[in-house]
Amino acid sequence: MSQHPRFSVLSSSSLSSDHSHVQSPTATSTTSRFSLPSVNTTPTSTTPKPPGQRPNIYDRPLNKTRTAEVSASAFAFLFSEVVQYTQKRVAGINDLERRLNTLGYRIGSRVLELQTWRTESSSKAPKRETRFLQALMSIHTHVWRSCFGKPADGLEKSVENDDEYMIVDNDPPITRNISVPRDLSSLSCSSFTAGIVEAVLDGLGFPARVTAHNTPTAQYPGRTVILIKVEKSVLEREEALK
Amino acid sequence: MIGGVRLLQVMSHHLFLLSPTDTPLYSLTHYSSKPTPSTASPLSSNLPSWSTSAFAGTLTALSGASSATQAHHAQAGTVRLGGGQDRHVIQMIANASLDVIEEVMRRDSAMYLKSVDKFNEWTVSAFVTPGNFKFILLHEAKNDDGIRSFFNEVWELYVKTMLNPFHTMHTPIRSAVFDSRVRASAKKYL
Repeated sequence: MSQHPRFSVLSSSSLSSDHSHVQSPTATSTTSRFSLPSVNTTPTSTTPKPPGQRPNIYDRPLNKTRTAEVSASAFAFLFSEVVQYTQKRVAGINDLERRLNTLGYRIGSRVLELQTWRTESSSKAPKRETRFLQALMSIHTHVWRSCFGKPADGLEKSVENDDEYMIVDNDPPITRNISVPRDLSSLSCSSFTAGIVEAVLDGLGFPARVTAHNTPTAQYPGRTVILIKVEKSVLEREEALK
Repeated sequence: MIGGVRLLQVMSHHLFLLSPTDTPLYSLTHYSSKPTPSTASPLSSNLPSWSTSAFAGTLTALSGASSATQAHHAQAGTVRLGGGQDRHVIQMIANASLDVIEEVMRRDSAMYLKSVDKFNEWTVSAFVTPGNFKFILLHEAKNDDGIRSFFNEVWELYVKTMLNPFHTMHTPIRSAVFDSRVRASAKKYL
């Protein structure tokens, strides 16, 4: 559960940043609610800040600190609100899953940049993932670890379809406290995780459709499979690079 | 301007930040006055320096001439700007390098791609983040280590920017703090 605190820390600071990029009217109102200088102030970054004002986002270090972690119950509460909020605004299960996916996508694109920065920025020659299988491995271990504090439990290639890969999580932390009603039984709230995976793959240049599916077993009732269906172009490119 | 006055050699650097769909997010022009040996292109000496017509800048830029002098009022003292300093020429060179960058980044897993492209006096260096954001820098002198450090700092600033929930992939970066930090880092390394 280490991914959440990072974002909470940085996003809360952005509200108080007087130079934040504010696009929406809601954002403006949020800023004014904190009674900070107006967002349109011209460069005054060098002037000393009044005491008590929080530093802007550029003053905060990107490295993870232990104090930035929040409790699992706080996150469970937040996520349950996210699901309820979304459910009020959709027509069916497919729509709900798609929306959760979209929300996860926003997280995923940030996770990719941040996590890579944390591992690579200190090296002399920072590297990106350019091969598909390595990218999958890195999602399975690194992305999972930075989001959920543990690597995923399995990475499999579909036997029937060449373009399908699966990441297996026996007990996804984000759905641990969710009990899905019987009439929604096909719903998997891990669509949120699927969105994260989709964003990471997209960012690395491997466009794919990612969905989440419940596959309970006797031992692991919460077992979830994140199904990755990559676009044809990805496989062709891998073939060409061999 | 030329007679009797010692001309100060000014190196200019042009930085562009592009989203994965090549939307420009931010651009910066930085002037530094570090001494560097200037290289004259053979074509440039053949061009008359009287040319002040609208396309003169483009013409001299395309031929690689750096002899056309223009006064640059923003800088203190006498500043020499070579041909090819026109905004549209710079943008054209940066745009043209995108093809090369996209080809190189498929093969090379490094984020810092040094000197991917050359155009007359300009060398194009690039930095590709894991999320496929591209930083493109046009520079005249060779300065690998400085550029590497510069890119690394811009990368850090960029990651901080994109963690802002109000920032989307295609939002131009208008933060004054971002701008001043990038300028400070350009001053330090370029």
